[in-house]
Amino acid sequence: MALVEFRQVRKEFIDRNKQPFTAVAGSDFVIQDKEFVVFVGPSGCGKTTSLRMIAGLERQTSGDIIIGDRIVNDLHPKDRDIAMVFQDYALYPHMTIRENLSFGLRNLKKPKEYIEQKVREASAILGLEKMLERKPRELSGGQRQRVALGRAIVRDPQVFLFDEPLSNLDAKLRIQMRVELSELHKRLGATIVYVTHDQVEAMTLGERIVVMNQGVIQQIASPTELYANPKNMFVAGFIGSPPMNFINARVEQGRIVVDGGSFGLPENIAERLSAYSGKEVVLGIRPEDIYGEDFAPGVSTEHRLQAHIQVVEHLGSENLIYFHVGGRMVTAKVHPETKGYTGLAKEFILDLRKCHFFDPATQERITGK
Amino acid sequence: MKSKSKLFLAVAAACLVAWAFVTVIPLYWMIVGSVQDSTSSASFRPEMFPGVLSLAPYERFFGKTAAWRWLANSLLISAVLTITNVFFASLAGYAFSKLKFPGSKAVFWLLLSTMMIPAQVTLIPLYVLVVNVFDLGDSYTAIILPTAVTVGNIFLMKQYMSSLPTSLIHAARIDACSEFGIFWKVILPLAKPGLAVLGIFTFVASWNEFFWPFLITNSTEMRTIQVGLASFVFAESTDFGAIMAGATVGALPMLILFFSLQRYFLQGITIGAVKG
Repeated sequence: MALVEFRQVRKEFIDRNKQPFTAVAGSDFVIQDKEFVVFVGPSGCGKTTSLRMIAGLERQTSGDIIIGDRIVNDLHPKDRDIAMVFQDYALYPHMTIRENLSFGLRNLKKPKEYIEQKVREASAILGLEKMLERKPRELSGGQRQRVALGRAIVRDPQVFLFDEPLSNLDAKLRIQMRVELSELHKRLGATIVYVTHDQVEAMTLGERIVVMNQGVIQQIASPTELYANPKNMFVAGFIGSPPMNFINARVEQGRIVVDGGSFGLPENIAERLSAYSGKEVVLGIRPEDIYGEDFAPGVSTEHRLQAHIQVVEHLGSENLIYFHVGGRMVTAKVHPETKGYTGLAKEFILDLRKCHFFDPATQERITGK
Repeated sequence: MKSKSKLFLAVAAACLVAWAFVTVIPLYWMIVGSVQDSTSSASFRPEMFPGVLSLAPYERFFGKTAAWRWLANSLLISAVLTITNVFFASLAGYAFSKLKFPGSKAVFWLLLSTMMIPAQVTLIPLYVLVVNVFDLGDSYTAIILPTAVTVGNIFLMKQYMSSLPTSLIHAARIDACSEFGIFWKVILPLAKPGLAVLGIFTFVASWNEFFWPFLITNSTEMRTIQVGLASFVFAESTDFGAIMAGATVGALPMLILFFSLQRYFLQGITIGAVKG
């Protein structure tokens, strides 16, 4: 296995209007040996392009890509010692599962015994032994996914690349495959680069997550770090479900004023916000850090906010209450015993110890926690 | 509403039956004409239900001409053209649909634009090129070379190959497959239905081709079956019976081909509609 490094990697395309379009704007990062890193972001953010550049299916406009101890800029995909699992599995429909698994090794002219052994091992790991003579069309979505994984495993590559491999599976199977992928990573001890637009997948699988938007890396951090300390409003809004609430606020004499309430700030936060005195800021607070006033165990009830409930969603283990503050929709994830119904004027408690403040102009985080 | 749609169906069915009748009549006339004596089929009012059947026209067709040689020529030329068209059109179609190279669009549109030029316009320059410049007149090469691969077939294959998932090519590339290996081991097996359609259409078109072989061949031995049939037209008379017998023999392989591979013919009609 090996590390993967991007040094000022940039990728530009010419779009349909003959205008240059920057897909990846000068990325710099190092993925450590045996690390599971997930690239996440909305469609068109540059995550798949980054993966394809590692694979050698796309040539970067500038910069260097390093796999292991080699600069691989000019190497053909077959010489990069990588294996890739595609979104649509890309199994060869006219070949049996055995032929699909062994195709790469046969092209590399490996000895027959070696190929057979590798196919046997991979099919044992993935439970494919009984379907080796079948064609891909005879398998279910989950089984095809396993074959695609198997095809990568038999190659014994330095780096595994996954391009949204679970997006074609139904919700239940996706969760099952997520667990299997985590186990597989531990078992193989492989360097894995995984691309997804699903932040839940990113949070559950990745040891570190690369959040991208419009070709620019927004933040690289562990899932807990990303969740607790997002670098900017994009990351804060992208990671977490339901996403972080953003409330327009104003800093006035050490207090924060929002539509429907005004609160004193803890000293450390007030200090950091001193430069914004008299200015607008954006208050970011996660839905689970907002409580109904009738059910806020262990939280200071000092920071109250009054609002009219728009919608209540009962999810069993929790309720989602939606209301407006200063023209923005806010979601509170509250205890199921919290009372509330559409139209009710209710007081909510904000746990300001866990909130973040963002500069509305730069969207960067000013302070938090 | 129901009676209206029933009426529409009845009218549509009547129109289709009439159309089928008009289409089948010449075929029926050809077959019937081939088993009547010469005078009756030359009367322009052939008996639709002949009383006396005769195989004399077939005897004249096979006995007095090099008919077997013409059939063999047709078979050879059609087979070679089918193979060359399938091979080169699939290669070019793959390149235009899946490979990125400078000028690919320009070259493709240039090729496509040649389809706008009527064949008659290029016939004389082509004749001069083949006969006067390359000195290939009256040979198999002269018949085969100009249509060894046609732009129409390249277009057909490009459309078909565009529908194959590009991720398979990428997967094969990562699986250490060479570029020709990708074409040979991954693309061609997947393009089989398209290749079958292309092959059948090319074979039929080559078998039925008349004008170019007629123009380029002089000797009796080099004629194809379609050109050979014309040799029954003499200065004073025309042996319609033998022509009908020859036409029936010439059409027979096509009829067998059509009925046994009907599925592919129908597929061929929709092949251009595959998403790009």
